[in-house]
Amino acid sequence: MGTAPGAADTAPPGTVTGSLPFVDALVPAGAYRTGRRETVRDVAGEPLAELSLVPGLFIARTLDRLRREPAPSGGRSPARLGRRLRSAGAAFASDTLGGLTRQEHDGLVARSTGVPVSVIRAATATIADVLAGVVDTAAGASPRAVLPPGRRDVPDTGAVVWRRRGRLLGVNASGNHPAVHSLWLEALALGYRVAVRPSRRDPFTPHRLVLALRSAGFADDEVLTLPCDHSTAEELVGGSDLAMVFGGDATVRRYAGGRYGTPVLTQGPGRVKVLIRGRWDPYLDVVADSVGGLGGVSCLNATAVLVEHDPRGFAEALAKRLAALRPGPPVEEDTQLPCLPLAEARRVEDALRRGAAGCEPVLGDTVVHDLGDGSAALGPAVHLVDDPTAEQMGLEMPFPCVWVAPWSPDHGAAPLRGSLVVGVAGGNTALVDALLDEPSIRNVYGLDRPTWWLPPEMPHDGYLAEFLMRSTALAGI
Amino acid sequence: MKTASALAVLDAPVDADVDPDDLVRAAMQWHFSPETGTPFWLRRQETLGFDPRTDVRTMADLHLFPQVVDDLRYTPVEDLLPRGYGGAAEVIGVFESGGTTGVPKRVLYLADWMEREMAGAMAAMDERGYPRGANWLSLGPSGPHDYAELTGQHARRRGGFRFAVDFDPRWVRRCLREGRDEEADRYLDHVLAQAADVLRSQRTGALQAPPPVLERLARDERLVDLVRDRVEVITWCGTSMDRDTRDLLRGEVFPGIPLFGLYGSTMALGAAFERVTTEDGDSVFDSPSRHVTYAVVDPGSGEPAAVGETGQVVMHHLSKSALLPNNRERDMARRVSAPPAAAGHSVADVRPLEAFTGVPVIVGAY
Repeated sequence: MGTAPGAADTAPPGTVTGSLPFVDALVPAGAYRTGRRETVRDVAGEPLAELSLVPGLFIARTLDRLRREPAPSGGRSPARLGRRLRSAGAAFASDTLGGLTRQEHDGLVARSTGVPVSVIRAATATIADVLAGVVDTAAGASPRAVLPPGRRDVPDTGAVVWRRRGRLLGVNASGNHPAVHSLWLEALALGYRVAVRPSRRDPFTPHRLVLALRSAGFADDEVLTLPCDHSTAEELVGGSDLAMVFGGDATVRRYAGGRYGTPVLTQGPGRVKVLIRGRWDPYLDVVADSVGGLGGVSCLNATAVLVEHDPRGFAEALAKRLAALRPGPPVEEDTQLPCLPLAEARRVEDALRRGAAGCEPVLGDTVVHDLGDGSAALGPAVHLVDDPTAEQMGLEMPFPCVWVAPWSPDHGAAPLRGSLVVGVAGGNTALVDALLDEPSIRNVYGLDRPTWWLPPEMPHDGYLAEFLMRSTALAGI
Repeated sequence: MKTASALAVLDAPVDADVDPDDLVRAAMQWHFSPETGTPFWLRRQETLGFDPRTDVRTMADLHLFPQVVDDLRYTPVEDLLPRGYGGAAEVIGVFESGGTTGVPKRVLYLADWMEREMAGAMAAMDERGYPRGANWLSLGPSGPHDYAELTGQHARRRGGFRFAVDFDPRWVRRCLREGRDEEADRYLDHVLAQAADVLRSQRTGALQAPPPVLERLARDERLVDLVRDRVEVITWCGTSMDRDTRDLLRGEVFPGIPLFGLYGSTMALGAAFERVTTEDGDSVFDSPSRHVTYAVVDPGSGEPAAVGETGQVVMHHLSKSALLPNNRERDMARRVSAPPAAAGHSVADVRPLEAFTGVPVIVGAY
């Protein structure tokens, strides 16, 4: 018999048995090591850990039970919650958790995701920073009309309270970049229970994060990880009051239809675009950084640039900058480009070639750089597109890959639709107003900063609170 | 060896310990002789490239047979009846495969085979302490599937009544294939509501259900309480169940109620009850008889897997009533040591092949 969850194995995850550490599910009874497990490998194919895969029945029964429980933080003060979250942030940043030091953790995540370790280290720090300020962030999302938390002095004219739409948030995470896990923490600040399905590519980050939260005082039934296979993930969404789902277009389409009866906030490709009016040379560095920073793996990386004057000259200059990005194994300090298993890298390159049909390649004859150990680095690609509304402008690849197209004022904001961020240089007030008036553009920045600029207190795709909370009228009480 | 005495092994008493290779030779004689043979096989004799009556002498030789069960999607069932019965065979039913991989395949279930299959099933149930005189609740398919007939036989032969709730696995699979998960859920609710009616009003000592139906039942506390109150043994069958789900059902949902898997295939006309002990935590199924045997093979080469290796499950059925050799099932499993003197391999950790003959498998609820 495998370990029954009621008598959960209490050996710390990360304990070496045989040779591989275990990444157990973190469940209300502690840790759950299943009989069915998957070996997590690094991009070169070396085994890194044994990940427990929780069966659907366990998820369903656990979530059914948790949904019926009262909210965990009913009587907890925001100050106390803030202290716990800050303390969790400090633990996440510095403590040995699950048998892993911070440094070992960052190295494991780099190896499994193929994202350069310097990028992973920054992402780990981002998560810790978000934890430190997340109570204030959530409070910043509160409508002005609402009573402060805990107050019940309702005047005869009535009052507004801000309350949760549910008690349990399910998160189906992706593994492209660890900072996706900074995006659900607001839910804890708002008193939600959270159950996370880690990506099988990076189960380490949510595991460490949940261990940090538990070590800071969150109860085992307040924050969970439920690693499971793809088909079982739907149990997580179906069993939660509200769900957040990260993924590609197909995943977003599947969950956005509301067919699970659970409200789902989808987090799909960012399709971040940059618009440069006037001279482009002052912005070359920041655009190169927007495309190639963070290893080019984040939904906040720029993937399309619209240029008013001399797009070809800009594309060639950008190509020169990006060509300097260094390939190498993800654990090496100076590596700047992401890696994938060789076969997967070739599939990505094939997808790029198909997607780029009809475009002019400026950089990226060879995208796949075989590192000789079973993995490959993905080198940058720059293509010229003759129409700013071409389909390629929305083609987001998991490495620095950018499409450059001409733009004229006649085009207006239309080619910039559907972007998580628009970075704009030389834009006049009317253009910025037009961008802000376009509902499918989520954030607008000037080009004094890269498109992936996102301090902890800023909303990423709106505040999560906009999804998790609602205003309720209260009168005569 | 004279033909008549060679064939006698096909009619051996149900509890006789026949030699597996004798059975192979007898089945070849019977199904490939012009006088007694099965039209389906006689027609294929020319294209086989070997003579089954001389070239297939042992269990190991069965691998010579090509995968013919796909032809059973279109074969008139009369062609499956051996001439040797002289038109006097008692046909219990025409049964179809689940239809997981395309158009369903059809087989004939004959009464003399049912006696053998049930003798094995009763012995297996006795060994596992299944009650006698208890009523059965079967939450599974009827219609073209063998499930309802077999659970009816199980109940009757153990002195109980059988209550049935109808369940159409093809509809569930169609819902899933079309992305209508919520319709599949609604249908399962409909099935379980009927189960609740039976459990509330009737003595039911044995419950038989496919894993997805059982899992759904396990989420409903009222149903779980009813099952805990009344049911003495639970049998799951139809699709595979992972060991963690099995442990949850045994340890948390239905503690103290024996839970056994039944692994087989319509195309093998037989099934094996789960071994009482596990192997490295995994459920094990021994080949159920001389007549119905399993083999684990390398999916590429078809070579038998060694003990401990994982491969594709092949099933053979050899009896007077039917010949269905070397059928590759839609399952992967690990070969484990078989009991002494057993014919065929024993399989552990059975799970569906992700893709089978190029058509995606939608397991659905059966």
